[in-house]
Amino acid sequence: MDEKKRAEFKKVLREIKNLPTLPGIVAKLGKMAENPDTTTEQMGRVISKDHILASKLLKLVNSAFYGFPQRISSLNSAIILLGFNVIKSLIISASIFEVMESQDVELWEHSLGCAVVCNVLARHLGVKDPEEISTAGLIHDLGKVAIKMELPREYAMITELSQEKKISRLEAEREILGLDHAEVGSWLAKSWNLPNKLVEPIACHHDPQLAKEEQQASAIVHFGNIMIRGLGYGHAGDIWVPPLNNKAWKLLGLAPADIDPLLQEIEEKLWDVKGFSLDITSNPEGAA
Amino acid sequence: MQRILLAQAGEGMILAKEILNPEGMVLCGAGTSLSPALIERLVNMDVVDITVEGHPVNIEGEKTLQEELQEIDMRFQRVEDIAPLMYLKKRIQAKLVASRNLGAVGK
Repeated sequence: MDEKKRAEFKKVLREIKNLPTLPGIVAKLGKMAENPDTTTEQMGRVISKDHILASKLLKLVNSAFYGFPQRISSLNSAIILLGFNVIKSLIISASIFEVMESQDVELWEHSLGCAVVCNVLARHLGVKDPEEISTAGLIHDLGKVAIKMELPREYAMITELSQEKKISRLEAEREILGLDHAEVGSWLAKSWNLPNKLVEPIACHHDPQLAKEEQQASAIVHFGNIMIRGLGYGHAGDIWVPPLNNKAWKLLGLAPADIDPLLQEIEEKLWDVKGFSLDITSNPEGAA
Repeated sequence: MQRILLAQAGEGMILAKEILNPEGMVLCGAGTSLSPALIERLVNMDVVDITVEGHPVNIEGEKTLQEELQEIDMRFQRVEDIAPLMYLKKRIQAKLVASRNLGAVGK
């Protein structure tokens, strides 16, 4: 790989022009969150000024992959239940996936499915904030969207190379760009000041052994991606189930007897999210 | 488990999932066996689709069990040396077979 070329791609991807700019609201909320005197109500009020965003947030929060037993009808309760970090990443997902949904329905389905699996795994393992892991699952392939939008020519070359040489999309990305979607996704997440709990799983979802702080979260997203590909739900660029990292597998500590109940729960939840879309025109709901 | 249009529902099919109205109220619980009278009532309540046990309806263009099993084999063909993933594959396939066979006589 030509170093100069790699640096060039890196520059283009880091400057991201075509992805929607992060709504100004995120920066504003970020500032508010730093101030210990900010109340949930104040934050809720800022979000609800943007009606569309507020409805999308509530729709995401109430979808099957967060698995709350009761319907969450107000932004205030959503902020309390999910915490600011999750709300922030949801605002980002809502903006990114608006593009993604129109661009690549199958990748969107893969992402939703991965979020479902991550949620089921996280709850099964008794992780403290399962919602954050679901969100990491939802945006783990962010880098693929960025590559598609910023480098459409190379994106087409990657598709071609992957089909021609029958290699995974990941390998094809590394060959053509000298970098891959996991790396690209993690830059983006970092540049948006997302917490490390989201950044590391995105960065390490193919190499979970590289995770330094968020090893369990990275292992869950790693295996979540494998499971959803195994189930053939959505499409992530190639058909193959990626290899399982032994260290991550051991860290998860799943037993053979866990697999059937997990598959059962995942199947039921996938059923519920089928056809889930952030398009709110068909289901207008008042935002609190 | 199969999601079908209410128009495809037949007597004797078993609901795998409850039927909810748009407000989230349960109209009919899981496990209910469908009768002609019940189907008519659901039609009158504007229910569009339902989820039933097994795989009673053959939908045109839908993959056969054999095709689906082959696709699973293909998806897992590059991880054949990874034991936990081979187990995962076996369970996914077993589950698919079970869901297709159960209640296949529905219609």
